Amino acid sequence: MKIHTILAAATAAAIATTAIAHEGATGIVLERMKAMSAMREAVKEMTPMMRGQVQYDADAVRAAAQTIESHAGQAMIELFPEDASREKSYAKDALWQDFDRFADLAMQLETQTRGLALAAANGLGGDQGGSGGMMGTSSMMGQDTSAMMGGASGDTLSAEALADMPADAVFEKVSQTCSACHTPYRTKPE
Amino acid sequence: MRVLTLVSAAAGLAALGLVAVIAWPVGSVPAPIELTGDSQRGAYLARAGGCIACHTNWDEGGPPLAGGAPLETRFGTFHPPNLTMSASAGMGNWTITQFARAVRQGVSPDGASYYPTFPYAFYANLTDQDIADLWAAFQTVPAVDTPAPDNEVPFPFDQRWGLKLWRAAFLPAPRTEPVEGKSDPWNQGRWLVEGVTHCGACHTPRNIAGARVMAQKFTGADALPGQDKSPAITPDALAENGWTRDDLAYALQSGIMPNGDTFGGGMGEVVRHGTSFLTDADRRAIATYLLDEDG
Ligand code: HEC
Ligand code: HEC
Ligand code: HEC
Repeated sequence: MKIHTILAAATAAAIATTAIAHEGATGIVLERMKAMSAMREAVKEMTPMMRGQVQYDADAVRAAAQTIESHAGQAMIELFPEDASREKSYAKDALWQDFDRFADLAMQLETQTRGLALAAANGLGGDQGGSGGMMGTSSMMGQDTSAMMGGASGDTLSAEALADMPADAVFEKVSQTCSACHTPYRTKPE
Repeated sequence: MRVLTLVSAAAGLAALGLVAVIAWPVGSVPAPIELTGDSQRGAYLARAGGCIACHTNWDEGGPPLAGGAPLETRFGTFHPPNLTMSASAGMGNWTITQFARAVRQGVSPDGASYYPTFPYAFYANLTDQDIADLWAAFQTVPAVDTPAPDNEVPFPFDQRWGLKLWRAAFLPAPRTEPVEGKSDPWNQGRWLVEGVTHCGACHTPRNIAGARVMAQKFTGADALPGQDKSPAITPDALAENGWTRDDLAYALQSGIMPNGDTFGGGMGEVVRHGTSFLTDADRRAIATYLLDEDG
């Protein structure tokens, strides 16, 4: 009986800590975790629309894109000062070793989410959603072997160029940028 | 006296054994491949197989397939070589047969064994047509004449002949053959997951010799290159973490997990340079097989 209650409480506590992984962090580390989490929520809100699981809502996409944009670029860079305490932080030291590249990715995220806000009105691209159809990577599935074999990726398109693309194609560029920065500069909890 | 003779006999034998191991030929010379390759399909396989991900230094903006970012492992630092058609720095002077032997058997043109950091074990079941397609795709890549740096592997792991013993003890054959009674997508997923997309290279734990522990397949691994850790991707673990087939297929396309967070670590690269280029059907096949659902 009692064991059960304790177990249940322990499980609940475990769930609670995974939900707020930044528990224990303070100061600027906590601040950037909150910013990242706000971006995660924005991505989570847009995902079902981009997957065609719920009705597409251009205004909601624009607003979510702007939320991410507000946390990207200079705002993000300023939350990673080299001299601040890194206690409870999951950022890798490599981030400060090649800070220029980190900053480039933060700026790229800003450009891409500005592009996404502009592209929101375009709606979804292919009938399949995702990588089919006319998105930036589409040429790689077509005749262009050079891009498929690792040539130009279109990661650095301007917001204006992105504005002409289907929203789901721009959205995927955004998510790949989150991931491109997490790959070298963030470790996983546990 | 006697002891000394014994010792020197043993030493002599050991030396002989060593010479034998060093001279022992590994792999086999494949029959010549005379098929015409389809470069588009080859490029697709090169995405699925991670050749482009690993052999391109994306962080430094390096040219495609001209040599990858260093892989730091507990055996040393490996530099994925230049695979362009440069005669001096890449595969310009290779024959397709040498290429086939390298990719399917992990044996170099001069008969040396490659380190398993190159996941050739997963490519063993590629057909002659697959190899011809890959070879055709590599011909389209602009040649780069700068060789990749040499591996930095300390003694004793720098002794390539030791890899022959490793191969004899640990080289598992990929289990890509179709299973009767399973759906086509499931079997296609099996071909991809167990073979060319080499999910097990990072998601199956390794023993002290760096060989995969097959009894613990897909239960997650630590000590991946760059101190990376991977979670379990067994059907149970995936179900427990709330993954559905559609979520998984979408994550392999976009890098987005069900909670809105995105992949980091090696998985980010697998998706960005690999699975995001696959067809929806193939990503769903991977998810179908991993979750062991019917298609
Ligand atoms: C330029 C680099 C960069 C970009 C771009 C980036 N992140 Fe992050 N992210 C990080 C780093 C570094 C951390 C770890 C921060 C720490 O623990 O101090 C992190 C942490 C997180 C976390 C965990 C927060 C916590 O509570 O611990 C989430 C969630 C996250 N990012 C989501 C996103 C999403 C979604 C995007 C894209 C919309 C994104 N990130 C874009 C670098 C980046
Ligand atoms: C996880 C990273 C990784 C992936 C994925 C990978 N390779 Fe490699 N590859 C390596 C490393 C590291 C070496 C060098 C091994 C050594 O020095 O023994 C190598 C060596 C090679 C060689 C020998 C080159 C030479 O100059 O001797 C060939 C050919 C090759 N890889 C082709 C491929 C192909 C084709 C694919 C995709 C089907 C592929 N590789 C995928 C890491 C990788
Ligand atoms: C280069 C190593 C590598 C390869 C190859 C690889 N993975 Fe991963 N995988 C990882 C790492 C590292 C993580 C943890 C990601 C993170 O830190 O965000 C991961 C995470 C995952 C997750 C998330 C699981 C969860 O519940 O959090 C899934 C699903 C997954 N991988 C599936 C695959 C599939 C399918 C393949 C083959 C197509 C594959 N992986 C190949 C390294 C790899």
